[in-house]
Amino acid sequence: MNKRKKGSIDMTQSVTQAYQQAPWRNQIKWIVIFFLGLLVVALVAGLYLSISAQSVALGIEIQDYNSNKITIDRNIADLRNQLADLTTTSEMEKRAKDLGYDYLNPDEIEYFVVAGYSGRQTAILAPRSEENDISKAMLDPNYTQSLWEWFFQGLNKVSEYPNGRSQ
Amino acid sequence: MKNESFGRFTFLGISLTVAASLMLAQIVNIQVSAKMKEVSKESQNLYVVTKETFYPERGIITDRYGRQMATNKQVYQLGINLQEVISPVTIASTLASVAGLDYNLVYAQASQPYEEGKHVFVDLRVSISGDKKKQLDTISDSLAQKTGSHKSGEVYPSLAGLIMTPHLQRSYPEGTVGSNIIGFYKFLDRDGEKDLGSGYYGVEGFYNDLLAGKPQTLDVSWDPNHAVKYPNVPPGASLVLTIDRDIQAMAENIVDQAMESSKSDSATIVIADPKTGEVLAMATTPRLDPNEYWNYEKVFKPISTPFNRAISQTYEPGSVFKVLTMAAGLDSGAVTLDTTYLDTGSIEVGGQTLVNWDHIGHGYQNMQGCLGLSLNVCLAWVATQIGVPNYYKYLEAFGIGRRTDIDLAGEAIWPLLLPGDTDWTPVQLGTNAYGQGVATTPIQMVMAVSAVANHGEMMAPHILKAMVINGKQYETPLRSLGHPIKAKTADSLSQMLARSLEEEASSAMVDGYRVAGKTGTASISVGSLGYVTALTNASFVGWGPVDDPRFVVYIWLEKPKTNPWGSIVASPVFSAVVRQLVVLMNIPTDEERKKLYGQ
Repeated sequence: MNKRKKGSIDMTQSVTQAYQQAPWRNQIKWIVIFFLGLLVVALVAGLYLSISAQSVALGIEIQDYNSNKITIDRNIADLRNQLADLTTTSEMEKRAKDLGYDYLNPDEIEYFVVAGYSGRQTAILAPRSEENDISKAMLDPNYTQSLWEWFFQGLNKVSEYPNGRSQ
Repeated sequence: MKNESFGRFTFLGISLTVAASLMLAQIVNIQVSAKMKEVSKESQNLYVVTKETFYPERGIITDRYGRQMATNKQVYQLGINLQEVISPVTIASTLASVAGLDYNLVYAQASQPYEEGKHVFVDLRVSISGDKKKQLDTISDSLAQKTGSHKSGEVYPSLAGLIMTPHLQRSYPEGTVGSNIIGFYKFLDRDGEKDLGSGYYGVEGFYNDLLAGKPQTLDVSWDPNHAVKYPNVPPGASLVLTIDRDIQAMAENIVDQAMESSKSDSATIVIADPKTGEVLAMATTPRLDPNEYWNYEKVFKPISTPFNRAISQTYEPGSVFKVLTMAAGLDSGAVTLDTTYLDTGSIEVGGQTLVNWDHIGHGYQNMQGCLGLSLNVCLAWVATQIGVPNYYKYLEAFGIGRRTDIDLAGEAIWPLLLPGDTDWTPVQLGTNAYGQGVATTPIQMVMAVSAVANHGEMMAPHILKAMVINGKQYETPLRSLGHPIKAKTADSLSQMLARSLEEEASSAMVDGYRVAGKTGTASISVGSLGYVTALTNASFVGWGPVDDPRFVVYIWLEKPKTNPWGSIVASPVFSAVVRQLVVLMNIPTDEERKKLYGQ
């Protein structure tokens, strides 16, 4: 009986031993798992760094663009002012005189009708508004927007600036 | 084999543990070390979140044809970064020669010691033009090329530390032209305090909020990790005015000449389109160059002098007011063109005797004669024929005693005394009839008389023709203030006044153009002396061409010294204005218009 039992145990051990990983293999497995984990962490970190670097680069680009926009806006305003300086009443009068022009004598004027010409048009600095309600345009939007518009504008602001940066 | 492999793996495990521990220790060290705290603080300062306000560009102002009257130019604000200063002497001497700054003042500022966190930057509160900035850049570059390497702390010629920060500053390219209408924008307090800026007087004052736009404040971080969405700040509203720059310049030239030749205290000319109420020009004296608004007190002496007399100074208009009295008389039916009046030279109204300007009677006169000879007595009689309540109803309908609500800052009024008011006395019916005991501004008179020129319809005077806001242009709608008189009355009166000028061969007439008009000479009341004949307000109001009025011109000379009479000093001014006005407005002579348009 004892013999049979002992033989059975030996058999079990040898089967277990036969199918068990060698200890060094186990260690290798764990090391591989560790390095795989490390690789995953490194990949995630690398990806994070790459995306964060791109985001920083874009952030700097946005700052540059904004700075350029401000500079360009200022330059446009300055050029407009230079143009105004070059076309003032006194400057135009001086240029006309330098070119040999003189004041017009009303007796020398000859008028004639030009078909379709409706005379000198006044300034159009921007496309005309379809809804030409100047009094509404002059008011702060707070006074003209509906409750509905106000509500959705508020929602838009919150979504644009989740940290509530907008003022 | 087993022992060997155990040893290798144990060694590897220990090595990795030690490495990990070292890394952990370094992480802790980074968090707690004093040096790292300093670095962290510096980075926080570097990427500090600041509240930044984005100011929109102030809207531009143009005349009716888009010619710019108020713009914004780029200038450079001077400042000194004390930490970088190498030579205060060079900075001070260069700024003195290039920008005209006081050497000692700049030297004292630039010599101040740098104290971290406390004394870092000095704002010189002076802005220079782009040309001067270029000069300074050139000097800075040449100094940098001349000087080689230097030891730390060594003083050598250099502009290091001088900071030039660009920004926009209000500019008025036309200088004084139209300045009484435009007003000015105070961009810098000359006492040293920089303020946020505000518009004063004229359009700059009246439309300040619209021109300024809406600034937006944002928490801005320079940390690129926290890129913010920069707000799109639209510029302030741009304004297109009704004035014509050429007509304005012409009117200012004439107003200056008229003041000089008549030795008047002041002179004012208003030109408007009676059909629309658009003010084409408004010239007055004195005028300030808004680019140098800090000279205000030098220009407007005494300080109570109005910025724009055309809207801010009331005065007794005198006989030009007779146009309104006659309009009321004809319109109410109290008199007709053929009504005759026996002028004895005086009339009693409210228990007081009123006399003509020449103190003589002119016999039988029809209404044409009454206006032509400008008879006070006749017009006082007309007022009595209209009756007290009716007469004042007409004056109120003409807007007398009320603001015209012209869109310019600082409009003044003199309340019209009405029957029932404590200060009103019955004699005022007579005096008011010829423009005494009642006060108006020139713009009020222009508005009222425009009703006569415009077939009885009175248009609201205005300066704003259109406005550009958020990229769209909005036109100012024309506003009718009603019909104080019937069209027939207005047209008859226009003809009467045109005939008056023709019959007296007035110096107001203009070759080729039929114009209507009326002179006015009002005595000025001087304290206890009462009305002094030698001191007058000389005026003229006229319009034309009579068959199709395109303009109303109002002339006012305050206290002329060469001659007190409006017919002598103001009428020629009207003529001079109209002679140039018809050219600038492309109005052919009456004869040519008939040929061209078959009128």
